[in-house]
This record gives sequence, C-alpha cells and structure tokens, in this order.
Amino acid sequence: MANAIEVQGVSKMYGRVQALEDVSFSVGKGEVFGLIGPDGAGKTTLYRILCTLLLPDAGTATVDGFDTVRQMREIRRRVGYMPGRFSLYQDLTVEENLQFFATLFGTTVEAGYDSIRAIYSQIERFRDRKAGALSGGMKQKLALSCALVHSPSVLFLDEPTTGVDPVSRKEFWDMLGTLKERGITILASTPYLDEVRRCERVAFLDRGRLRGIGAPEVILEQFRDIFNPPGIERRGAGCVAAPQQSTRPENVIEVEHLVKAFGSFHAVDDISFSVKRGEIFGFLGANGAGKTTAMHMLTGLNQPTSGTGTVVGYDIRTQHEQIKKHIGYMSQKFSLYEDLTVAENIRLFGGIYGMKDDEIARKTDELLERLKFDDHKNDLVSSLPLGWKQKLAFSVSIFHEPGVVFLDEPTGGVDPATRRQFWELIYDAAARGITVFVTTHYMDEAEYCDRISIMVDGKISAIGTPDELKRRFHQPDMDHVFTYLARQATRSAD
Amino acid sequence: MIKYLIQKEFLQIRRNAFLPRLIILFPIVIMCVMPWVMSMEVKNIRVSVVDHDRTTQSQRLVHQVEASRYFIFCGQEPSYQAALAQVEHGTSDVILEIKDGQYLIAANAVNGTKGGMGSAYLSQIVASAMEKQVDGKTALAGNGPQGAVLFLYNKHQNYKLYMIPALFAIIMMLMTGFLPTLNIVGEKEAGTIEQINVTPVSKWAFILAKLIPYWIIALFVITISLLLAWSVYGITCAGSLLWVYVLALLLALFFSSLGLIISNYSDTMQQAIFVMWFFVVCILLLSGLFTPTRSMPHWAYLTTYVNPMHYFIDAIRTVFVRGGGFAAIVHQLIALLAIGILMSGWAVQSYKKNS
Repeated sequence: MANAIEVQGVSKMYGRVQALEDVSFSVGKGEVFGLIGPDGAGKTTLYRILCTLLLPDAGTATVDGFDTVRQMREIRRRVGYMPGRFSLYQDLTVEENLQFFATLFGTTVEAGYDSIRAIYSQIERFRDRKAGALSGGMKQKLALSCALVHSPSVLFLDEPTTGVDPVSRKEFWDMLGTLKERGITILASTPYLDEVRRCERVAFLDRGRLRGIGAPEVILEQFRDIFNPPGIERRGAGCVAAPQQSTRPENVIEVEHLVKAFGSFHAVDDISFSVKRGEIFGFLGANGAGKTTAMHMLTGLNQPTSGTGTVVGYDIRTQHEQIKKHIGYMSQKFSLYEDLTVAENIRLFGGIYGMKDDEIARKTDELLERLKFDDHKNDLVSSLPLGWKQKLAFSVSIFHEPGVVFLDEPTGGVDPATRRQFWELIYDAAARGITVFVTTHYMDEAEYCDRISIMVDGKISAIGTPDELKRRFHQPDMDHVFTYLARQATRSAD
Repeated sequence: MIKYLIQKEFLQIRRNAFLPRLIILFPIVIMCVMPWVMSMEVKNIRVSVVDHDRTTQSQRLVHQVEASRYFIFCGQEPSYQAALAQVEHGTSDVILEIKDGQYLIAANAVNGTKGGMGSAYLSQIVASAMEKQVDGKTALAGNGPQGAVLFLYNKHQNYKLYMIPALFAIIMMLMTGFLPTLNIVGEKEAGTIEQINVTPVSKWAFILAKLIPYWIIALFVITISLLLAWSVYGITCAGSLLWVYVLALLLALFFSSLGLIISNYSDTMQQAIFVMWFFVVCILLLSGLFTPTRSMPHWAYLTTYVNPMHYFIDAIRTVFVRGGGFAAIVHQLIALLAIGILMSGWAVQSYKKNS
C-alpha cells in the first residue's frame, strides 16, 4: 500500500533564509504523524508545500499518490488544511461557515454530514452564533468540521490547539482519534508535549533540517534538552513575601465580590482573592471562564459591574488611571509595534511611563545586554521570531519597574525551550520584587507559580499553592487538577 | 511623553513603503492635473447649421460660428431632421436653424452644462450678428438699452484661480481626516491599542500625537501646492497667506475630529472608511464647491449652516481670489471654530480608555 505522504529531499529558500533543507520522510495511510520543532523550524513552510500553496525549490512531495507540483487539483480535492490562525469567518454564523466551506469543495453540509457528525454535533446547538463569539475550544471544533466537510483523506493541522485550554485540547485529540479509525491520515504540529505523545510517530524539525524521526517517547528522550528542559530552580523561592511582610505587609491586589455582567450574562461572577507583593500568581481557567474579563477590570480597561478591588493601593473603579502608572501589561495579542525597531519600541514605552532620555538609553543597553540581544537592537520587531518577540514584549512591560505585571497567555504557541527561558525572566522579575499575575494554558507553567486560582464559569473554584490543590483534590499533577475542576463547568464553556 | 508618541508616528509613516511617496506625489498631481480638468468652461461644442435662407446675413452668421474658438463647425445640413439625426448619432451637440430671418437654437441637454453653455454662447453670437445687421440698415437708429457685465476679482473668469483654493480643502480632508482615522482603526485591528490603553498615556496626549504629525504633513503639502500654483500657473494668493493657513488648520480640526469620532465607533478598517466616505461625499456635494449653494432647494441650503466645508470654501475664495482680510471672513472663522470645538469635544469624549 502506498504511503499517504511521501516527501523526498525537499528544500525551500526565502531570499537568503533556508526554510527547509533536504527534508525526506513518509507517512503511512491512516497514521497520526506529529511535526514538532521550535518556532521558525520550517513546519508551516512544509505544510504549505504539501497543501500546494508553495512550490519547493528542490525535491518532490506526493500526497495520497499525487505530486504537489503537477497534480495540485487532485490534491486540493483530497486534503483538509487547518492553518494555525483561525481560518473561520468571524462574522458568519457557525452554520454559514460550514456551508461556505462545503460549497467551496462542491459538496453540501447534508452530503458531508456523516463525516463531521461526531464533531459538529457538539457545537450544533450554537449554529446561529457568530464564529467570532465562540470560545477557543469551540472555534477549534468548528474549524475542524470545516476542514472535514468534504471527507478529505489527509488532514493537515498546523498548531491547531494554540491558545486552547487543556480540557478542550484533550477533547480535540480524542476527536482526532476517531478520525484515524475512519482511515484519515493526520499530519499535526503542536508545542504541547502531551499532544506529541498522542502521535504514533513524530518528526523533529530544527532550522529547516530533519533532526530525527520515530516514536514520540524516543524523540522526546533523544532531544530531551530541547523538549524537556530541566525544571527551573527558583532562586530564593519559598521566602518570597516573608521577609518583606514585616516592612510592607500590604497585598498588591485585593478583590472583593467582583462582578462583570454583559446583559444577563455574568462573565465574572462574584470573585474575591488577594495577591501578595512579589508573588507569582497563576490565574487559570478554561476558555471563556472569564479570565480576560477579570484581568481587564484589574488593569483599568473595564469597569466592574459591582464589587470592589484595589491594585497597588488604588481603587479599580475610580483610580484606574493611577493604576496604569504602576502596572505593566502584556496581552495575548502581540503588543509591540512591528514596524518599529527593538530600541524604538523600548524608547516609546519608556517615554510613555515618563522616563528621561538618558535613563531610557542606559537601561535599554542594560536590558539588551542581559537578554544577549545587543546585535538586534536596530532590527525591526517584525523580523524577529515569535519567542524573541514575547521575551522582548515582557521585558518592555516591566521596563518601568511596575509594582505588578499582568501577563495574558504570554507563551501561547511558543516551544518548550523558549518557554523555559521566558519563565526565567519571570523569576528574575519576581526576585526584583515585581508581582506577577499570569494566565496560561500550559499546566507545567502552573506548577511554576507560587499560588494559583482556577476559574470555572466566572467563579473561582479553587485557590492555593499547586501542592495544596493537588492534595485537596487527590490528583497527581496540575493537569489533572485542572481537568477535574474544569469538567464541572455547567455553562456551555463559552 | 507626547514627544515619544509623535516620534513614533513619524517613524511609522517613514517606514511605510507607500505613505512618504504619496505625500510627495499628492500635491503634484493635485496641482498639475486637477486645475486643468476641473474647469467649468465649455469648449469644442459641435454645431450643425441648417440654413434655409441662404442670405448674406445668414452666411455671415455661419462664418462667425465657424470662426469661434468655442465651436467646432460640423457643416451645413439640408433639413432640421438631418441635423437632429446627427445629434442622435452623437456627432453634434447643438443645431442652429435659420429660417425667414428667424433663428432656432436646439441644444442636446443630456450633458446639462455643455448644452446650457453651448446654447448661451451661440445666442450671444446670434444676438451680436443681429445687432450688426440692424446697425447696417439704420445707422441712425441709436442705441437700444445695452447691458454690461463686469466680472469682479476674477476678470477673465479663470477657473484655475477659482478652483485652486477648493483643492486645498480636498488636501486637508484626505490628509487630516482619512489618514489618522485609518491609523487608529489599524491599531485597533493589530491589538496594539490595548497596550496603549493600559499605560498612563492621557487621552489628549494619545489623540494629539495621532493628529499633529498629519497636520504638519497637510500644511507641508499646502505649502508645496501654493509654490506650484505660483510657478506653474503664476497664480498667487491675493490676500494674506496667514488666513489661508488659519483656515486650513480650522478645517483640519473639523476633519480630524470627524475621523476620530468615526474611528472610536468602528472596529474594522472597512467600516471606518465606508462611514467616512459617506460623510465626506455629503459634505462635499453640499458645500458649494461644485455648485452654488443658493440654487439648492431651501431644505438643502439650510444644511450648509452646519457644513464647515461651505464656510471654508467661502472664506478661502474670499482670501485667495479677492484678497479679503479678517473683517471679510470673521463670520466664517467663528463658524469653523465653533464647529471644530464641538466636534473635537465629542471626539475626546468618545475615546474611552476605560469602559
């Protein structure tokens, strides 16, 4: 039996950048094959070549027995492609999106219903809702339905679960399992290790080269330093707040009965908690649980409907502009100006927080030296790899030494090694006395926090140190704690 | 703080592959092309003549039509029907029929301006020919009542002189209205505005930093346009240049505010540009830039009281063409300032860093 995907010596250059260099591998029919590697490894380029969107400079590739250069038409009829960024039309409803993609492939939703039933039935009750109003997990299911509606034989998934909470991710991979039973070949890339382990075989790409191929455990073990970097030892951990408590005993964030309602929907439903100075506070929750809304109220972007709260001593209802002077913020969406250079971005944000020219210049040099980034001082931000952008965005958000920094999913879509470096920066900041308030979907990162809260349906259903929570719910790790709590959600997760 | 924000805007404009070129190209196209094409003067009107009389007088009249620089003589036709067929064919615009010393002028009025102006020119020629004829017969008949027309301030009815100040209005509209609007909505789409909103930047600083660069660019473009008007057409401002710039800035205040208000209520580029165009087209057509406001229906004329473009066009033509000073435009200055302040107040009020 022929292989579903056959890649022979494929190379691709963008100008002088070698995106892929002599890559060869094959994927058997009905296999779930993982494509892993750091940012900029060439994964997306490979997908685009296989989907006939790009022509390789050298080498050949076949999909389902058809050549990607000469037989584009046949291939396009047989593959489903889910690009990393959502491919849905945000202002069409669920049903309209599905119908649109069915029409594109010359079929109808009714004709293709059998192939998507298992997945689509989970979101069918929201058929009249706009795709833009769905939560991350639901969008994922819809995008998968759209990619499957024409019954493809090969499915390409380019980081399909970035920014999706652990429970939804598990459901997503369970669905991929059912597709395999129907004989659909799946090529998927992912930055999550638990997802890597669910593939039958994986290929590890690094800077355009194929470094290894084999069973997930073998590859992960072989390149352990990249995928499973040693845990971070926290300097001075455990004694974070203790010595300072005598001198400055206050909580940096205090929230009492905070509510944010949009009409009759309570996005944030009566939450109360406090965060101590110098603490790393993990703010977890499934997609749509209300994390971002809560964070917007704390950072002065939104007014609470009711309840009270203070951040660095200022009232979130009346003194939001005071709060903004003393906090840093890094959002889910990338927050530096892409068309400015590294130094210009730092200068802009330094200036906004009222720092003087010479102070900015001095601290810029210090910062870039510490990040070992001096060479790229005058590079445009748009030319940097994602991991670097995120590290830089974080450094800029604490450039003015704020009392507390808010990080909204700062490591979405970043590979494990870069994430580890990112957390070293967070620990540095915490050691300097900056309180860190962070949301994340990576449960290994949750373990790095001093204390965490887990939000379910707009309420905080658990709060405490990672160890306390594991003990209280009798679970082996944070992933299980999260899954255990998030599965109790009653509102439709969105 | 605002210094850094303005610096950022200029850097972003400079990095843009397209904007700097546009800023240079813009005044050149506007000043070197538009004054020629925006002329309301009608030339090259095609005339067919049907002469049943064949007298000396009628022949002389036909020669005059032939000689006029406004007309292209399409030849004589045997009958009115034949001439009409030419009009229907699109090869002729106006018919001149001469029968028993009487004249009939029939103009194709599908293009109203061309038809109207063409028949008006033709009747002038006919009238003057008749006059000569009368003179020839009875030299002593004396002068009948004669009218005289005196075109004040623009003696030769030079449309370029009339149109150039109006082009300034269009420059201000595009440079200070559209560019900042699209810039702000662009930041919304990219998500960077959220980052700015959690910083202590004041509303005023943020908005001014968005506007000042474009105002400077707009004034720069106007200066180049003035220089071009002088070097290419030899047209200079009759009044004080100070008032030209003051008026331009007041108009900029209005258009910037309108743009900001629209950007504050829009989430996408598409929505912003569409709404902006809607208002701009209404403002332009109701401003008196192309058609005199007094001849509009009364209800439409009333809207010109709140149309800043109307005041601007009035005032800038007064300054530029007539050389009027402060006293001549004080009414327009006050109106522009009032509308500008009202709109900018709304613009700042509708921008929310905290909702």
